[in-house]
Amino acid sequence: MAQAMRPQMMGARVSRVEDPRLLSGQARYLDDIQVPGMLEIAFVRSPHAAADIIYMDLEAARQYPGVYAVLTYDECPVWLWDKATYEVGQPVLAHGEVQYVGQPVVAIVAEDRYVAEDAAELVRIDYRPRTPVLNMRDALHDQPHRVHAHTPNVFFHQEYQTPGFDEAFRQAPHHLSATFRTNRQTAVTIEPRGTAAMIDPASGRLTVYASTQSPHRMREDISRLLDIPEHLVRVVVPEVGGGFGMKANCYPEDIVVARVAQMLRRPVKWVSDRTESLLSDVHGRDDIHDVEVAFDADGRIIAIRDHLMADGGAYPAYPFSGAVGETSLAARVLTGPYDIPHLATVIDCTYSNKTPLGAYRGVWGPIASFIQEGVVDRVARYLGLDPAEVRRRNLIHDDQFPYRNAAGMIYDRGSYRESFEDALALIGYDEFRRQQAMDRQQGRYRGIGISVFVEPTAMASSEAGSVGYESCTIRIEPSGRVTAALGLGPTGQGHETTMAQLIADELGVNLEDIVILHGDTDSAPYGGGTGGSRSGPIGGGAALVAGRQMRERLIKYAAHLLEAGEEDIELGHGEAWVAGVPERSISIRTIAETAYTNVRRIPEGLPIGLEVTARYLPKRPVSFSNGTHVAEVEVDVRTGIVRVVRYAVVNDCGRLINPTIVEGQIQGGVAQGIGAVLLEALNYDENGQLVTTSLLDYLLPESTDVPQMIIQHRETPSDGEGGIKGMGEGSLIASPAAVANAISDALAPFDAFVDTLPVTPDMVLAMVQRKGA
Amino acid sequence: MADERSVVELTVNGRPYRVEVSPRWSLADVLRHRLGLTGTHVGCEQGVCGACTVWLDGEPVRSCLLFAVQAAGHEITTVEGITPAEGLSPLQEAFHRHHALQCGYCTPGMLLTAEALLRRNPAPDEATVREALTGNLCRCTGYQFIVDAVLSMRPSGGED
Ligand code: FES
Ligand code: FES
Repeated sequence: MAQAMRPQMMGARVSRVEDPRLLSGQARYLDDIQVPGMLEIAFVRSPHAAADIIYMDLEAARQYPGVYAVLTYDECPVWLWDKATYEVGQPVLAHGEVQYVGQPVVAIVAEDRYVAEDAAELVRIDYRPRTPVLNMRDALHDQPHRVHAHTPNVFFHQEYQTPGFDEAFRQAPHHLSATFRTNRQTAVTIEPRGTAAMIDPASGRLTVYASTQSPHRMREDISRLLDIPEHLVRVVVPEVGGGFGMKANCYPEDIVVARVAQMLRRPVKWVSDRTESLLSDVHGRDDIHDVEVAFDADGRIIAIRDHLMADGGAYPAYPFSGAVGETSLAARVLTGPYDIPHLATVIDCTYSNKTPLGAYRGVWGPIASFIQEGVVDRVARYLGLDPAEVRRRNLIHDDQFPYRNAAGMIYDRGSYRESFEDALALIGYDEFRRQQAMDRQQGRYRGIGISVFVEPTAMASSEAGSVGYESCTIRIEPSGRVTAALGLGPTGQGHETTMAQLIADELGVNLEDIVILHGDTDSAPYGGGTGGSRSGPIGGGAALVAGRQMRERLIKYAAHLLEAGEEDIELGHGEAWVAGVPERSISIRTIAETAYTNVRRIPEGLPIGLEVTARYLPKRPVSFSNGTHVAEVEVDVRTGIVRVVRYAVVNDCGRLINPTIVEGQIQGGVAQGIGAVLLEALNYDENGQLVTTSLLDYLLPESTDVPQMIIQHRETPSDGEGGIKGMGEGSLIASPAAVANAISDALAPFDAFVDTLPVTPDMVLAMVQRKGA
Repeated sequence: MADERSVVELTVNGRPYRVEVSPRWSLADVLRHRLGLTGTHVGCEQGVCGACTVWLDGEPVRSCLLFAVQAAGHEITTVEGITPAEGLSPLQEAFHRHHALQCGYCTPGMLLTAEALLRRNPAPDEATVREALTGNLCRCTGYQFIVDAVLSMRPSGGED
């Protein structure tokens, strides 16, 4: 009842509190941190994909004026290596050999970056190159050889199949097979990666400024790897210019920077330039899947078999290899929103002489959706059925929730069928089909692609680590204003706004009276950070639980001070009052004053002060968001150029905290999906040189590449706190499949199917000509 | 590092400066690290991303591609220069209202490009706005809300 009295901030389109500082150029990103005496680092990186280091001559660099130190492995013998999981780890500076182009070999510390780079030019290293391992299918069989002599190239292997798979597969009336492939990509945050470190002059503790998504994990890594007790390390995350999973790792450079600050007792900073970023930020995707599908004459899919392969690069990224995430999760969600009873998967993750593979938004999702939706479309075309109709025949029914998929994952309730039908209506599917037939007669090739997706969110473990919970400390200051600290690592998601919205509702205070603290291990309670679409549901859950506990405390105070029953107290606009008697009220400020300074009046049994820390661990190990994307493209069959002309999304991520922010996330993810399908590929040549080392070669979507999007929401609450589900990745899980399918649909007259991403104009022309000839 | 320094005089956001610079320092570096105007961001130093966009005599340029010495005698405007002493400019307000920024890293460059467009053409259509923004990459927003924010500045308030 008190609930109804308050303005509901949850679900409101609140403009972000972060914006003014960002809009006025006042925000402080990593490279904006400048401290007197700060040194800068440049790295000498491997020019070879695989080579032994024969000899290093560092003298000239050491003697160069303005250089303070030159570090090799000998000065920094630290390995990024989770020995419990992997046979291999990466030395933060190369040790005797290099395994990928761009691997850090030597660190030059100088008075500024220009000087450090000059000195880096003077470093002479003799290498004896080896034949690099570059092809995933060869690597699987240890060809041309092992990347790491003491261990096979396959570092992760897993097999799974549903009981009765073989028979069900064999007996099915129809079969198709296809190979699906995604190229290497990377997140390309517009702010490059960077780290700064210094010894705090007052306390002697090591302070590390890190552009990371996971502050506490970073503190743990630095503490463990450099053997500094955790309480003597502070990690501060300044403004972060995008993360997308790429900033969830601990990198060699982070450790070197921290080590230099410790060694030289000087503040020090390293900021990546764009070429370094493309070489050394974790790469993502790089999957090959050999898929077979069995189905009946009505288009009902009976079984899917998939050999999943991913190229993990030279070393497992720390602390997890993206290849394992790409494959093992894909294997568990491969059947997507469809009720497909049988599944058999074999996973192989291999080493190569390429940059380590890590997370990029939607890890596993783009390839799994590409397959799942690509399979449905292939079945439809084979049987001469409409792809929408084949989806209808296979979608999970509402009465099947909670639904256990063929891999054993449990889906909580969603709006699978409704969102699908709504999305078709939004785009005008039937009308499009009529128009498409006429267009084709005039030589215009338009196509529509449907992608019905599931998005596992708020998982007990994710790229943000195996911390399945999140924490929130709420403190009402003596003035009645609120600070709330969380262990999140936002990179543009607007947590300062969304978390404040949740807390404002619970406490009945105004949004402006709440400040959200994050990203500083000294102020934030221990938490997992941001990644794996967990901040909304788990971070938000922690904010709600802490808020509720604080609310209960405020009610006790108010009841005591107003001499009323607790059940009669209502909260709102920074006040507490007796229901129906608004004159009998007390401000939160007065309550706070009482709690801190007038302590004799504190109700019995309550502690002094107003501070609460709550931790929230969702009961379910995962909560599934869902939705449908529909893309319309036009393909110019003479130039091979594809344009995405219309796009519709129906999204269901449970209860919305802030619809505008959710829409921003969706639009950004769709743009990234368009990039994944049409533009973005990290290409290596036959020597293992990365040839896409600038943004002129690695192309990102521009404003003209992305169409207007129509977005609709559905809200099927989770049974977690607040009914919130995660949503950071769904748009990039769904969109590549939608766009790829639209291209396949446009090229149906040529019997073509897209099976490799990205689809370049050359590939389009090849598909057109194959048939045309 | 015996690189000789020279003194450059330039005007930034209406204020005259004399700075000692090395001939190889980019304008972006000098604005950020010598003058403390860190609102100008650097995303690529390859002239592609547009995060470093500033105005040189009122025209948008990429400050990562210009040497500071080339700015001698010119008037530079950065995001700090288009921000009023109190509050936000109308375009900044529109960005805020339309959720045209997430991480904010591309935002200063976007604002300068968009503001220059609007001064040239106060009522651009959507295609013109998208075309004008092609030199500014944003990885977070998918551009839609940025385009909406710019269109809302038209005298008609966003309606065509
Ligand atoms: S930093 Fe100048 S264009 Fe990217
Ligand atoms: S808001 Fe992050 S790059 Fe544009």
